[in-house]
Amino acid sequence: MDELVDDFVARRPSGLEQAYALWSRLLFGVARHAIADRGSAEDCVHDALVRVWRSPNRFTGNREMLKAYLIACVRNESLGMIRREGRRDARELKAVRLAPVSSIDPPVVDPVETQRLQAALGRLPDEQRTALTLAYYGNKTHVEIARELDVPLGTIKSRISMAMRKLQTELASTEGVRS
Amino acid sequence: MTEHLGENAELYPLGLLDDDAVHDVERHIALCFACAERVAQAQSVAAALAAALPQATPSPALERRLRESARPQPGAAKARASIFPFGLAAAIALIFLGLGWQTLVLHQQLKADDVALVTMVHSHFNHVSMAPESANPVAAKILYARDGSWIYIIADKPGGSLHAIAETATGTIDLGVLPGTGETASLLLHPRERIRSVTLQRAGTDVASARLMY
Repeated sequence: MDELVDDFVARRPSGLEQAYALWSRLLFGVARHAIADRGSAEDCVHDALVRVWRSPNRFTGNREMLKAYLIACVRNESLGMIRREGRRDARELKAVRLAPVSSIDPPVVDPVETQRLQAALGRLPDEQRTALTLAYYGNKTHVEIARELDVPLGTIKSRISMAMRKLQTELASTEGVRS
Repeated sequence: MTEHLGENAELYPLGLLDDDAVHDVERHIALCFACAERVAQAQSVAAALAAALPQATPSPALERRLRESARPQPGAAKARASIFPFGLAAAIALIFLGLGWQTLVLHQQLKADDVALVTMVHSHFNHVSMAPESANPVAAKILYARDGSWIYIIADKPGGSLHAIAETATGTIDLGVLPGTGETASLLLHPRERIRSVTLQRAGTDVASARLMY
């Protein structure tokens, strides 16, 4: 059994502390990608981590799955904050998150992982790759993407969904190559 | 259960759904294994996408805040969001709390399909009344799945904050405070292991308990 996961699910403070020690930079990076303001981004990381930690019954799985779950929660918390709150700096935040981002190339961090990810993205059909990268790296909503690409909203949802599923297959097929 | 998530399973970890849709997804995957698997797979893909984002170091204040939030706060445990559909919970509560004529009326109003639904629900869960443990007990019932996958505790006129403690094969679990409105308090959980018994405490004193039979 994984001590971190066990402690986290059992709501022991050590579980939260271990998760934070391991993934704080990653999670904060996810929040900062959506929110320019450091304090608001920290609020999102805090609120998402504490919410999940206090409700461990929502999670079952291993360490990697916990990491992926926390990433998704921080992402939802961050974009939810922007959508939800009529903050006075919402316009500024939106301007930041809508800053031009390449629809193909994600920012380079880990060269090996990024190369593997880019290769997998490169094998997606163009329209699926464009929709997915605009959504994730461009922080655009499906409504905004549909408008930008001038295609129906349902088509964009389908393209993103199919892109995610195909990307999963592509990444899984290169899992052994990485290690 | 509502229909499966479909494309929302992939849109959820990308942050593309609004708050209501996010809650719908979280409610659904708590009850649907197939969709939970699909969302977990989508989350792993989203994690791969996130790994390419620049990482950033938060201020030390964030770690201090988290440590503070993780400190035990007796009697102030945060209420967990119920994932039980309110209508179903209310219907089950009416049926099993034995509210006299209201229950009778409800039964009379049930159509054939509804009776079939209730019969099906009956076949999948048990219920038990909690036994009083003090001079000032609380009337409470527990509904629980026969496979141990969920447990729903509901108390009538709790008379203060109620704290639930559970026993399992491996030890004691603090289930936290039953969120309530004053008239009722309830808590739905999806425990990782089968719960054998539940004790409700008010101000540190046992007020009701029940043993669950599977």
